[in-house]
Amino acid sequence: MEGASARGVLSHLSLLEVQARSRGSRVPQQPSRVKELKAKIEALTSQRDQLKAELQLHKKLQKLRAPVDKQQEDGEDEEMDLDSESSELFHLMARHSELMDLLHAHNLIGGYDAITTNRGKGMCFSLATEYEGVYLDTYNLELNLKPNVRISRHNIPPFIPLNSLAEQSDLQSDVRPFLATVSQHLNAFAGRRQQLKLVKEQHKSVEVMESNLLCSILVLMFTVPKEKTALLCTLEYNDHARCLPTRVHLNCEDELLPDSPKWKKNCSLLMEVPVHRALTAIKKASDIV
Amino acid sequence: MSEENAEEVKQLEAEVKLLQAEIRALQQQRQDSWENFSFQFRGQMQHALAFVCGRTQDLEETVVSRLKEEVEQLEKDLKLQTQMNGISLNSCITKTLQSRGREVVHQVCLSGCSSELVFQVEFQLSELKDGARTERRIRDLNLVLDSSDLQSLSSFLSRVEETRELLLFFRTIRSFSEKCDDRTRTFQHFQEKFPSIVSLPEGCGSEVMTLNHPELPGCGFFIHWCMDVSTGGAVTPKIQLLSKIPEKALQMFPSQPAGGGAAEAFQSLLRILGPKAAMESIIRAVSLSERDELSD
Repeated sequence: MEGASARGVLSHLSLLEVQARSRGSRVPQQPSRVKELKAKIEALTSQRDQLKAELQLHKKLQKLRAPVDKQQEDGEDEEMDLDSESSELFHLMARHSELMDLLHAHNLIGGYDAITTNRGKGMCFSLATEYEGVYLDTYNLELNLKPNVRISRHNIPPFIPLNSLAEQSDLQSDVRPFLATVSQHLNAFAGRRQQLKLVKEQHKSVEVMESNLLCSILVLMFTVPKEKTALLCTLEYNDHARCLPTRVHLNCEDELLPDSPKWKKNCSLLMEVPVHRALTAIKKASDIV
Repeated sequence: MSEENAEEVKQLEAEVKLLQAEIRALQQQRQDSWENFSFQFRGQMQHALAFVCGRTQDLEETVVSRLKEEVEQLEKDLKLQTQMNGISLNSCITKTLQSRGREVVHQVCLSGCSSELVFQVEFQLSELKDGARTERRIRDLNLVLDSSDLQSLSSFLSRVEETRELLLFFRTIRSFSEKCDDRTRTFQHFQEKFPSIVSLPEGCGSEVMTLNHPELPGCGFFIHWCMDVSTGGAVTPKIQLLSKIPEKALQMFPSQPAGGGAAEAFQSLLRILGPKAAMESIIRAVSLSERDELSD
């Protein structure tokens, strides 16, 4: 009889406990909140110590990388001392970071980022373009190296005569002159295209009448002040490896205007200076609106 | 009992706030110094970091050997890039100038060489996040060059500093140093082949090759080979023949030969035969060689 009532009480108690837990009872809150905070502090302390260690390591590696010219900060506390056992590791880490920086630098200066592909049977190159300090599009070119050197895949636009450039250069003995020529053409194209973009942005009073995909021809319409005469200017870029025109031609209803000394001077300016900048100068001289 | 707990809770919460602030400060410090590509610990560098902080069971030898492997891979990669790009970089120092919002600005200092041409380049690189793309731009380019041939490069250098065309600068010095190397090899080749006639008074890296016949000490010819560098970066070799013949000798020839003097004749030869064959034929002429045929 005692057992039965004990069981009854126990089972009642455990029922209460279950009910309390399931209700998320706030009664035992205080002790577990302390525990929660203590656990959080432990985690945060570990995180902070980790960050401190990383920063210390960074400082140390910096020191290892620049022994000569960097000014040494005096009185730096070395919390991680350089024992001989670990110095090989630190030197390796310093060299690793130096190599990563040098490789990144090769990319920054417009290097080809050459990678061997297809187990050495091919090679892939990135051709970077830039104009007036702005990095523009990067193109990619893959060459098959075995059995002989041939162009494989690429994303170079079709108006760049890749195949004929390849024929003109001796791909089999050295691919670098070919790459340099393609890069020159791509950069010249990117430069001409960028100039057109800048003309449209900076010179809204000048109307772009005609341009082509290769940006090798540009026809602009100027408005001459006073009589508001229209002046048609054709820029021909026949040397596709350059971003300056090879010929500038003017057309006007007033046939005397293009031969005026002022406009002869403007024509030579357009031959020597990128078009968006030439137009700024011409506008400043009030020769066009 | 709940009062004591409330005190403790307050203290602990304050401690948490302090730690969080400390962490934020350290993270900012890390971000400021670690925009450098190199210090984002990845791969074997991450394992090495874990080892240094005592957070791994790995043996030091294991960590070192794995890292060594990765470093050797990187050395090979650097060799390949150096060879393909024709530029040898020996140091790259980056400093973060600004890292706020969408724009990061680095100060980059590079030094290296392209064959005999030694350079030091300093610039600011701005990277602006614009959606999925990052716009990269060079600001403030400074170029220092050490070369025996600075005169031909000076107008190009000042233009390229103005327009900040970093990539054009490197493409051009690569082309320039390749052409200078070609000149050096050619001059050296002729000096070895015709040692009695050819001399290089300023060394094989110079622009001038002197031709003298040993029995005609007063008469000399000079091949002047310079590099013309346009402001757009086009490098064009310009080869000229100059002569130094004493007045008395010239007087022995009352009339100029048809087609002008030696200098003009040389320009025609250049156009027909190309530089190396043209130079060889002049050398043979100066040597008063009995054999008229040109070598292959």
